[in-house]
Amino acid sequence: MANSIKIALAGNPNSGKTTLFNALTGSEQYVGNWPGVTVEKKDGILAGHREVVIQDLPGIYSLSPYSAEEKVSRQFLVEEGPDAILNIVDGTNIERNLYLSTQLAELGLPMVMAVNMMDVVRKNGDKIDFEKIAKALRCEVVGISALKNEGGQEAAEKAVAMAKCGEQGIGKREEGRGNGERRGLRRAPEVPHVFTGSVEHAIAHIEESIQGKVPLRSIRWYAIKVFERDREIINRLGLGVGEMKHIEEHIRDCEKELGDDAESIITNQRYDFIQRLMDKSLALNEKRKGKATLSDRIDKVVTHRIWAIPIFILSLCAMWWLAVAENGPGTLLTDWANDGFLADGWHLPFTTHECREEGRYKGMEFEDAQEEFAKAEATVQAWEAGEKKASIEDEETGEASDEWDVDEAAYNAAKEAEEPDPSQFGVWVPGIGALITGALERSGVSDTVKSLVVDGAWGGVATVLGFVPVIFIVFLFLAFLEDCGYMARVAFIMDRIFRKFGLSGKSFIPILIGKGCGVPAVMATRTIENERARRMTTILATFIPCGAKTVIIAMFAALFFREQWYVAALMDVVGIAIIILGGVALKKTRLFKDEAASFVLELPAYHPPTVSGVWHHTWNRLKGYILKAGLIIFPACVFLWFVMHFDWSLNLLADEEIEKSILHDLGSWIAWFFEPLGFGSWQGAAASVSAEIAKEQATATLGLVAANMDGSTTGSHIQALFGAVSDFPKLAALSFMVFNLFVPPCMVAIAVTFREMGSQKWGWFAVGFQLFVGYALALSVYRLGVLFAGGGFGVWTALAVVVDLFCLWAIFRPARKEASK
Amino acid sequence: MNAASAIVLAAVVAFAALAVWRVLRKGAPCECGGTRKSCGCGCGCCGGAEGHDNASPKAVKD
Repeated sequence: MANSIKIALAGNPNSGKTTLFNALTGSEQYVGNWPGVTVEKKDGILAGHREVVIQDLPGIYSLSPYSAEEKVSRQFLVEEGPDAILNIVDGTNIERNLYLSTQLAELGLPMVMAVNMMDVVRKNGDKIDFEKIAKALRCEVVGISALKNEGGQEAAEKAVAMAKCGEQGIGKREEGRGNGERRGLRRAPEVPHVFTGSVEHAIAHIEESIQGKVPLRSIRWYAIKVFERDREIINRLGLGVGEMKHIEEHIRDCEKELGDDAESIITNQRYDFIQRLMDKSLALNEKRKGKATLSDRIDKVVTHRIWAIPIFILSLCAMWWLAVAENGPGTLLTDWANDGFLADGWHLPFTTHECREEGRYKGMEFEDAQEEFAKAEATVQAWEAGEKKASIEDEETGEASDEWDVDEAAYNAAKEAEEPDPSQFGVWVPGIGALITGALERSGVSDTVKSLVVDGAWGGVATVLGFVPVIFIVFLFLAFLEDCGYMARVAFIMDRIFRKFGLSGKSFIPILIGKGCGVPAVMATRTIENERARRMTTILATFIPCGAKTVIIAMFAALFFREQWYVAALMDVVGIAIIILGGVALKKTRLFKDEAASFVLELPAYHPPTVSGVWHHTWNRLKGYILKAGLIIFPACVFLWFVMHFDWSLNLLADEEIEKSILHDLGSWIAWFFEPLGFGSWQGAAASVSAEIAKEQATATLGLVAANMDGSTTGSHIQALFGAVSDFPKLAALSFMVFNLFVPPCMVAIAVTFREMGSQKWGWFAVGFQLFVGYALALSVYRLGVLFAGGGFGVWTALAVVVDLFCLWAIFRPARKEASK
Repeated sequence: MNAASAIVLAAVVAFAALAVWRVLRKGAPCECGGTRKSCGCGCGCCGGAEGHDNASPKAVKD
């Protein structure tokens, strides 16, 4: 792309740059409704213009070199120099956004200002005079709505046209000249003069001094930076002592005259200029003047000192209720996916009826016929085992039904029973599992290969895909909250809490991103300038349960906590609590001791989310999850099936010989590590270790192991697995869930953590800390839970108490004082 | 082992190998969509580190 035209998208955080970038390029870059989402420059081709590259820059408030985003943007704009700038300005906050615009205009590049969110401005009844702004800032100004895809393409094409002829803007066009040396310009372009006489006089002197050392088009920007005593620029220009002395005299004269330091003079005069410009060009709706906006009124409630946190917790509870509560939409859809769509099949709604065929099940509903058949099977089994009583267990709860007597007559009748044909009870649609099994049986494949496909490959993938409805509801809910503007308030609310504990609210943005995936969460810590705070956030960010961990929560909520759906919501709250308490403990160590960085957060106005926006967010996340089931879970399950069905001599094992398998041995070797946590079986160990491939693999492995057991359903087998190793299966299950949620994240996230930490030492520290937290939490949950449930006090309970006391000491001990030098 | 079993077994192993090869070549996918080798994420929510392919098929490298 050597001869391409580069158009830079620059603007304040959360002004709509990435939304416009996606609309212009057809990209699907993540758009977050909070500041700091874009941390690096991204490129895309402008639709309909193969030669034009649109460059999305991180959002910035100014061109000062303080934050990582500002450095990236400033370096690109000043050093690499795009052919034109498309400055995105939030029309609903135009006054604040113009600060950056004045600086961008000083760069001397062709610039189009796209005033975004004009639909909201119009709706508010406000009026912006584009011509006056254009004249004052010497650039083109157009109104757009990036969200509604209005005007963005025209603004981009204007920027392309200006870049092609090298125009710098209205002022320049009037003179009919190009914009820089490479276009043959011999004098500086006309840029807005925003400062008063003495400052302009000093800047003019500086311009004279630095002429020839900087590109002519940007000479004014450099001169202002020298006036502000920007060390980076002064060092780069290599000004001699004599030149600096001369320049310093002019700066000091100004400071003396205006009674302020140089940097403040520039800042204040910029704001004065913007104020004068706004007085002329912005007409606010008279009816709205002095009145609180709808956003202000909503914020009074949702960011209230007392109500903010309960409202946040309520919103989390609402999300999890929808996703995992018994008879909630998530559970109903998950049951349909697990038992119907991905397994045996389902009846089309509104087509079910009582059995009309003559025979055993006539006049019965399908569920009753199934139960009748299950009873017949249980009767046969009991009689053949020489028992006089029989019972069946509930598929969901695993509880045994009332017993009935078994005699020869009942046995003979039961032996004749045939499995009910679902097509006799309505229109039956076979599920994918049934279709695969049917196809394999018709092809005459061996039982071993059938087991590989049905129990191994498909079984594992289906276990994960079965929770797509839960993931969909969680992602949909989060996308809705984010797009309407609430998530930015959550960052604001959490900042208040974080600050009380000496942490910065800036750390909460990566944590919000981490609800989707830990990898971008770790990447997003780059927005934190302070190295200690950044490292600490990298360690803590993945404690918030990500999308993959949501599958673990969903499975255990469905199998063990169907009536206690709040356990799922509690996992998010525990994640946040660990982040806060872990942060407090780390800040008290020498490694992380520092003042909390300041956090400026611009809250976007509330607006109804668009269907396309919410769908885009939800689908993008869901797509990655489904893709992972095919690309990672599928091969992992095939591998696990092999190690579960072969011994070390590579002999194929029968189902009942599984205790000779490689997986059994591998799991048994490390099961001792999980013994104190209540799930020290080879199955629990295998599931926990395989979760490092991808967190949802834990559920797939449990499903795979359970599929190999005799009996009724996969769910009841998983319940039986925990029942076999502990007298308190619910506590063991909770411990397993807590361990897998709060130990180090998946391999990919660990690799990114190592890279972002910048050293092996810090990488291992992060992994060690996360492992300690996950293990300590699971140990405490299980051992103290057993103690309170009347299970007695043992060595491991004592260890749990010691670990908890150590954690409490680490959190509440006095902060370490700096050694006096 | 009959022919049908051999074909099915070969197909499963081949698909699994293909999936592993794709992950090794393009990187692991994450919940935010797409795949990217260097950071393991393809959605752009991480901003995309230098030299990464963007999620868009139209996107270009520097």
